[in-house]
Amino acid sequence: MFNIVEDTQKTREDTRKTWEKIADYFRANSIWMKWYCTGCGAMEMPPTMTSRFDMEQLGMGPMATPRQADVLLITGYLSAKTLRRVIYSYEQMQDPKYVIGFGSCTLNGGIYFDSYATMTRLDHYIPVDLYIAGCMPRPEAIMNAFDTLIAMIKKGEAKGWKHYQDNYEWYNANQIHSLKEVRVKDEFHE
Amino acid sequence: MNLMNLIYAFGLLLFAFVLQTSITGINRKVIARLQRRRGPRWFQQFIDIFKALSKSSTSHGWIFDFGVVMALGGIMATAMFIPIGPLQALPGLDNIFIIAYVLAVGMLGMAMSASGSGNPWASIGVSRALTNMLAYDIPFMVVIFGLIFAYDTSSLSGFAAIQQEGGILGWNIIRFPLGGLVAMISLQGMLGKKPFDSFIAPAEIASGPMVEYGGRHLGMLFLLHEFQTFVEVSLIVHIFFGGGATVLEYVVKYALIYTFMNIVSNILPRFKIDQAVTFFYKVPLALAMIQSLLIIVTGLGVA
Amino acid sequence: MSFDLLILMMFAGAFLAYLISKSNSEAGGISTVVISLISLVLLLLGKSQVGNEFAILYMTFKVTTIGWYFSAVMILVYSMTSFFNSYWMKQMLYPNAYNFLYLFSLAGTVGLFFAADLVTLFIFWEMVVWSSTFIVPLGKSRRAAVVYYTISSIGSMATLYAIMLLHAKSGTFIISEAFAWLATDPTMATIVFFIFILAGLTKIGIFPFHIWLPLAHGSAPHTFSPVLSGGLVKMGAFIAYMSVGVLPAYQAFSGSLKIMGMPIQIYLLMVLGAISIVLGTLMAIKQDDAKKLIAYSSVANGGYILIGILMMDQLSCAGSLMHLFNHAIASAAAFLTIAVVAHRTGTTKISELGGMIHRMPVTFTVYLISIISLAGIPPMGGFVSKWLIIQGLADKGLLFMALAAFFGSIGSFLYVFRPLAAVFLGQLAPKNYELEGATLMMKIPMVILSALIIFFGVFPRYILEVIGEIQSSIGITPIQLEGNAIQAINGLLNSYHVFVIFGFGFLISLAIFMLLQKSRKVGLMDTFTSAEFIHTPELYHYSHDFYAPFERLYKNHPSVENFLVNIANKFDELGQMVNALFFSHKPSITVFWITVVTAIIYLGGARI
Repeated sequence: MFNIVEDTQKTREDTRKTWEKIADYFRANSIWMKWYCTGCGAMEMPPTMTSRFDMEQLGMGPMATPRQADVLLITGYLSAKTLRRVIYSYEQMQDPKYVIGFGSCTLNGGIYFDSYATMTRLDHYIPVDLYIAGCMPRPEAIMNAFDTLIAMIKKGEAKGWKHYQDNYEWYNANQIHSLKEVRVKDEFHE
Repeated sequence: MNLMNLIYAFGLLLFAFVLQTSITGINRKVIARLQRRRGPRWFQQFIDIFKALSKSSTSHGWIFDFGVVMALGGIMATAMFIPIGPLQALPGLDNIFIIAYVLAVGMLGMAMSASGSGNPWASIGVSRALTNMLAYDIPFMVVIFGLIFAYDTSSLSGFAAIQQEGGILGWNIIRFPLGGLVAMISLQGMLGKKPFDSFIAPAEIASGPMVEYGGRHLGMLFLLHEFQTFVEVSLIVHIFFGGGATVLEYVVKYALIYTFMNIVSNILPRFKIDQAVTFFYKVPLALAMIQSLLIIVTGLGVA
Repeated sequence: MSFDLLILMMFAGAFLAYLISKSNSEAGGISTVVISLISLVLLLLGKSQVGNEFAILYMTFKVTTIGWYFSAVMILVYSMTSFFNSYWMKQMLYPNAYNFLYLFSLAGTVGLFFAADLVTLFIFWEMVVWSSTFIVPLGKSRRAAVVYYTISSIGSMATLYAIMLLHAKSGTFIISEAFAWLATDPTMATIVFFIFILAGLTKIGIFPFHIWLPLAHGSAPHTFSPVLSGGLVKMGAFIAYMSVGVLPAYQAFSGSLKIMGMPIQIYLLMVLGAISIVLGTLMAIKQDDAKKLIAYSSVANGGYILIGILMMDQLSCAGSLMHLFNHAIASAAAFLTIAVVAHRTGTTKISELGGMIHRMPVTFTVYLISIISLAGIPPMGGFVSKWLIIQGLADKGLLFMALAAFFGSIGSFLYVFRPLAAVFLGQLAPKNYELEGATLMMKIPMVILSALIIFFGVFPRYILEVIGEIQSSIGITPIQLEGNAIQAINGLLNSYHVFVIFGFGFLISLAIFMLLQKSRKVGLMDTFTSAEFIHTPELYHYSHDFYAPFERLYKNHPSVENFLVNIANKFDELGQMVNALFFSHKPSITVFWITVVTAIIYLGGARI
C-alpha cells in the first residue's frame, strides 16, 4: 500500500525531472535578455547583437520587459538607487531566470570600489549565475560568457533563481541592511 | 458538420502551426542574411515558443487569463476556417467577413487581457493597435467589397476556384492590380510589420500590449501571433494569388508572399500612428475606391 | 387576450403605477416591472392574432407582423430596464410622475405600432413624444429636454402635414389605402415620402437631427437612457419602414433618376445614413462620458438601420430589422451596466473610473457581451445583422454606403473598447476598494439581456423567421434559411457552426492553458513600470484622451450644432426685434410708429 504511494511519487518525480531536462534544452537554446544599462557595459551590447558577433545565432535576443526576459544583464556599477530597481526588476522576472554580472564593477566595485554610494558585490543582493571579468568585457568575452551560460543551463547548473527562493531571508536581510527599504515610497526625501 | 470535421480541422490547425512557425524561423534567417549575420537556426521559433510555455508566469486576475485563452481560442477558430490549398475541414464557413470578424474576437481578447493587467503601456499599445486597425482594414474591406460584387461569392475557396480557371492571368493581382497593391499594403498593416508597427514599439512603450506577459501567457501569445499571421497571409493568397490547386503550390505561394512582406518590412522605418492613419486614408483608400468603382461601374477586369 | 385590451390595460397600468407611487415610490417602481412583464408575456403569446383588426373609440388598429415585432422589441427593453426603476426613485424629483410616464410612453408605442389609420398613428406618436419629453428633464439637464422636444416636434409637425396632405389628395386616412394611392403619383409620392420620413429621421437621430441623442441620452435619468436608445429610437425605424415598405417607394420612384441603381430619393437618404454612421463613430470615439459615447454609437447604428431599411431587399432589409433588435438589447444592456456603475460611484465619466471589474464582475461580463454584439463580432447577434447588411450592400454594389458601414464597423471596436479598458479594466482607485457590485434585482435583467444577445447570435433563425414573414407581407423575397444557416445570394453564414468552432478553439486553448504551470497571482500595481516605484493607482491608469493621436486628426471638424445654435440665435434676435418694435412701452418706439403711420397716410392717404 505505502509502496504504491511511494512509487507514484517517485514516478512523478521522475517525469518531472524528464520534463525539466526537455525544458532545459529549450531554455538553453532560447535566451531572451533584459539588460539593465547602469554603466558603460551597455555600450558593448550593440556590437554583440549586430552583424559582427550576431548573438541571434545562439538563439538570444533582446526583450522589452523583465516579464518576458530570461536573463538579466547588469552592465556596470550599481548605486543604492539603481540596486533597488535591479531587485525590483529581478523579482518581476519569471522562473527560471538567470543573472549575468558584467565587468569588475558588479564583482568588486571596480574603479568605484571606495565610493560611498556604490554597491561592491552584486551577489550579496541577487544571485548571480555568471560574472564576466573585464573593464569592460569586450564582445568576444560576452559571447564566450553566453556560451558558458548555455552550457550551464543544459547541465542544470544555472540554479541561481532556486537559490534566491531558498535563501530569500539571507538576501533580503542583505538588501535591507544596505538599502533600508527596497520599494521606497518617496525617494527624494529619504 | 460532425466530429470528423473537428478532428480534420484540428489536423489542419497543427499543419498551419508547423507551416507558419517554420516560415517565421526561415525568415529570421533570411533577415539575418540581409544584414550579413549568420542568424538563428530555422527551428528557432519553435524553441522560443516551447521555452516560453515551459516557464512560470504571473497573473493579474481572471480577466488577464481569460483574455489570453479567449484570444488564442478565437484565432485558432479562425485558422480552422481557412482552407489550405484543396484541403478544407469546414466547407461553407470560409466567408471573408466571418473570418475578418472572428479574427476580431481574438484581437478583442488580447486587448482585454492586456488592459486587464493594469499596465498603462498595455492600454496605450491597444489604443494604437485599434487605431491602426481602423486605418488598414477599411481600404482592404473596400477592395474585397468590389470583388464580392464582381464574383457574387464571398468564400475564400470560391475565390480560389474562380481564379484557378484562368491560370496565372486569372489571378486577381493581375486582373485588379490596384486592388492587389492595396491589399498588400493592408497586409503589411495587419501583420503589424514596419512601417505600421508603432503599437508594439519595444523601446518606446515597452512592447505595448505584450508588456505584462511572461511564461505560458507569452507563449500563448506567440502561438496566437503565428496563427494570426497564417490567417492574414492566407487571406491574400486565396483572394489575390489564386489559392492553391495542390498543397505544395499553396505553401510555396504562402512562403514567398510572407518572405516578401518581411523583407519589405526590414528596409522601412516606422510611421507614427497618426501618420499611418493619414497614409492609409490618402493613398490606399483612394486606390481601393478607384478599383472598386472600376469594378462596379465598368466591370473592368471581371471575367 | 386581444390586443385592444392589452393597450387599454397598459394605460390603466400607467395610472395604477401613479397611484401606487403616490403612497410608496419604490413599490411604484416595482409595479412598472410587473405591468411591463405582464404586457410582454401577453404580447408574445398573442403572435397568432396577426391580421386581427380592432378599434378603440374612433381609433382603428390592425395587428401586423411588423407591429408585433416592434412592440416585442419595445416592451422587452422597457420591461428589462424597469427592474432598475425602484433604485432611482430617491433621486427623482417626481417619482410618481416618472413611473406614470414610463408606462404611459410604453403603451403609446404599442398603440403606434398597431395603428391602422394615420390619425391614430399621429395621436400615439404625440403621446410618446410628450411623455418622454417630461421624463428627460428628471435627469441632469433641462436643456436636453428642450432640444429633444424641438427636434421631435420638427418630426411631428412634418408628419401631421404629410397626413393632411395625403388625406386631401387621396381622401382617406387608412394607412394601406392612402399609401397605395401614392404609387400612381410619383411627384406626390416624393413629397409625402420626404415629409413623412422626416419624423423617422428625427427619431432615429440621423444627421443632421442627431444632436438630441447625446444630449437626451446623456442627461436623461440613468434608467431612461436604455429605453431611449434601445426603444424609442426604434420608433423612427418604424416610420422609415412605413415610408419605404408600406408606401410603395420603389414602385413610385421607378421612373426617377438612378444613382448606382438606386432611385435618387432613396439614395439621398442613404447618404444621410452613411454620414450618420461616420459621424456617430467619430464622435463616439472622442467622448469622455460613457453615456454620451453609447448615445453616439446609437447614432451610428441608426445609420445602419436606416440604410438597411431603405434597401428594402432580401438581405439588407432583413439585416436591418434584425439589427434593430440586436442594437436595442445590446445598447440597453450597455446603458444598464453604466447605470450600475453610476449608481455605485456617482459618475459616468470614463476618466474618473477604472478597475470596476474587480468590484462588479457580473456587470463587466454583461458589458463585454453587449459590446461584442454592438461591435458586430461573432458569436453575438450584432454580427449576423451587420453581415446581412454588408452582404446586401455588396450585392447591389453600393460602394459609398459600404465604405461608411466598414468604417462604422471597425470604428465601433475603438469606441466600445474605451469604456471597457478605462472603466472596467485598468487600475482600481483606492477610494473604490470597498465598492459594492450590482444587486440581484439589477443582475436579473442584465443577465437575461446578455443571454438573449448570445442566443440570437447563435440561433438567428428564430428572429429571421419572423422577419421573413414581414418581408413576405410586403412582397419582397423573404430571407432564405436552411436550418441554422442563412443562405445569401453571395455568401453563407451558419452562426451555429461558427459558435461551435469558436467553442472548439476555446477548449483547445483552455487545454493548453490548464496543462501548463500554474501562475502566481500578483497585484495590479506589480507591473512593469520601467523599474520605477509607483504608489498611486489613480495616476497609473490610462483613461484620458484614449485615442489622442487619432482624435487629433479631426479635432477641428465642422459641427452642425454650431450652425443650429447660430440659427437659434438669429431667431432669438428676430423675436427681440419684433418684441422691441411692437410690444414696447418706450416713448421713442411710440413716436416712431406715429411717424410711420403719419408718413403712410401722408404719402398714400389719397389711395386709402
